[in-house]
Amino acid sequence: MALLRASGEYTGDDYDLSAVLGDSGEDSGIPHADVLIRLAETAIAYDDAATGAAREAVIERMGEAALVDAAAIAANFNAIDRVADAIGIPLEEEKAAISADFREELGIDDFGRASLPAAAE
Amino acid sequence: MSSLNFEAAPLPVRDDIAEALPQVWARIGQPGTWLTARERVAVAAESRNARYCLLCAERKEALSPYAVQGEHDSLGELPDDKVELIHRMMTDPGRIAGHWYAALTGSGLPETEYVEIVGLVACTVGVDTFCRGIGMAPPDLPEPQDGAPSREAVGEANLNRDLAFAPTLDPFVDGPLQKEFFPGGPPSAAHIRRALSSVPDSQRQFWQMATVLYMNGMQMRDFSTEYRAITHAQIELVAGRVSAINQCVY
Repeated sequence: MALLRASGEYTGDDYDLSAVLGDSGEDSGIPHADVLIRLAETAIAYDDAATGAAREAVIERMGEAALVDAAAIAANFNAIDRVADAIGIPLEEEKAAISADFREELGIDDFGRASLPAAAE
Repeated sequence: MSSLNFEAAPLPVRDDIAEALPQVWARIGQPGTWLTARERVAVAAESRNARYCLLCAERKEALSPYAVQGEHDSLGELPDDKVELIHRMMTDPGRIAGHWYAALTGSGLPETEYVEIVGLVACTVGVDTFCRGIGMAPPDLPEPQDGAPSREAVGEANLNRDLAFAPTLDPFVDGPLQKEFFPGGPPSAAHIRRALSSVPDSQRQFWQMATVLYMNGMQMRDFSTEYRAITHAQIELVAGRVSAINQCVY
């Protein structure tokens, strides 16, 4: 999410970070967020029927290459999240510091394992 | 020969993905560092089976997964401790805790095998999620190949035991593995890049997949150029949503 905010700062866009927590994404300020979120949710749930509908929506609005890249990102984070949590990888102190405000505001610190520097101890 | 290829994919797949993922998939069926090929394929199979486990479903609903005891619905190919690791990683990774890691490794599961299994589960999840995402059936499991595990130990002097639950390669030690994995020196060794590094082959296999599915470190932070067919913001939106569902802070 820090990179999402940073990308918005670079382009001058004010993205609504709460979109990642379960909103439809329609008001996030990110183009086509609604169909991308739907694809991500259904693909990692292995819900093939729902993923099919989400896939068609992404292709219709954004094209096949966008669908492939969105599926790749969902796949990567569905894997890397598990690596981070199973190994017990903490956030770097500098990343923890720059994300502290939105983690608290959005309730991310309440996630199952607080992946903060002290958590590995 | 990999049981995964994208020639018959329902839509064109980027060349780097079409090249890397079949290699990663085939590697699962080869002898590993600490596990045999048969064990590695069994890990991939068990990771697919975990979502049908009733114990895991009950734990997922519980206030604490550690309060619910029972037996996993497993395929019966792996011992209980490995099944516990695989199922927990698959069904409730966000609530994995250090005491759970310590209990598993303290009661007989070697740290080295733990890390290799984590890498295998992650590669299976990555491949399966990508295939399903583009509308393609997940590939058949690879056929286990003959041969013995390499048992390539990195050596205690190369390990850092203070970063995470599991040991990781210490980027501050001057060694060939550090040069390979952290070419920019310690500053380039983001914590997540160290995660699987105590088992070098697992590190290589996972990052071969992750780099093509996501982006490399330079591309990730270069907001002046779009390297994919979706923008940086769209990439991080998808990444953030997936991580929120997985309850992963990192």
